[in-house]
Amino acid sequence: MHELSYAQALLDAVLKLAEENDAKKVTSIHIRIGELLLINPEQLRFCFSAISKGTIAEDAELVIEFIKPKIVCTQCGKEFDEVIGICDCGGIVSIEGGKDFILKRVEMEVE
Amino acid sequence: MHKIEVEAEHDILSLNKRLAKENREFLEKHGVIAINVMGAIGSGKTLLIEKTIEALKDRIKIGAILGDVIAKEDYERVARHGIKAEPLNTGKECHLDAHLVHHVIEKFGDVDLLFIENVGNLICPVDFDLGERYRVVMVSVTEGDDVVKKHPEIFRLADVIIINKVALAKAVEADVDKMVKDAERINPKARIIRMDLRKGIGFEEWLEWLRCVLQSRGE
Repeated sequence: MHELSYAQALLDAVLKLAEENDAKKVTSIHIRIGELLLINPEQLRFCFSAISKGTIAEDAELVIEFIKPKIVCTQCGKEFDEVIGICDCGGIVSIEGGKDFILKRVEMEVE
Repeated sequence: MHKIEVEAEHDILSLNKRLAKENREFLEKHGVIAINVMGAIGSGKTLLIEKTIEALKDRIKIGAILGDVIAKEDYERVARHGIKAEPLNTGKECHLDAHLVHHVIEKFGDVDLLFIENVGNLICPVDFDLGERYRVVMVSVTEGDDVVKKHPEIFRLADVIIINKVALAKAVEADVDKMVKDAERINPKARIIRMDLRKGIGFEEWLEWLRCVLQSRGE
């Protein structure tokens, strides 16, 4: 379950940001995940809630936006929904994006 | 108390990327070719490394980092061949990451070829660059002939795809041609090797690929 690694890295980044802003509580965390990262959002939420217990990010809502990769044949321009390297026309298919895990924005309460 | 919104645009994988870059720079500086050996559990990754050591150890210096969740069996098997080896236990993780490899990488500055055997599975290791030069992904026919199709991402990013245990294909009713076709469709640039390590099938083709990449660094 590689979601635990992501959850830990996410929590570290969120807590650092909260500390820099003297936050008392983190209320929501907005993230953007590329679909090719194979992250299961339920497992990510479960891991995050487990490891954030006792921190100011406990009970924060995880708002996840999934980003599709762009999978296009370099020869005929056909677009695909699945990971594929070669098109029916024989052209090489290029795959761009879909591999990012970005912490976009954090909402927090301050004094 | 009041609420604020803080824009971050922070790449959560940035720490792994930075450490992978450091690993890669270290390996390149010392002329080490590192290969991330990934693949399914029981597909033959450790045996591939063992047989390769026996075939090449008189000519080149080989090192190995063996990743596992808790056990040290793979490390013990490989260390028996008299090469420099290090076990890496991930504890709870299902993959190696650049940070774990970073802890031991400096011990391998004097080898020509470094195998980094990842934890056996076809999903978790995919997105953790370790700083390797090449990625080898190994599966075997006993995992079912749809195993390639079901895990496209790991095969897309492979330099070499090995389908092992082909001598057992008939017994387990696996269609090796289908596996090869699936691999070609996902990754037309990869070298695809049909192998049976116990019978010696495909091993020479693997060694030939290795010789090519070693020559590319002036070996």
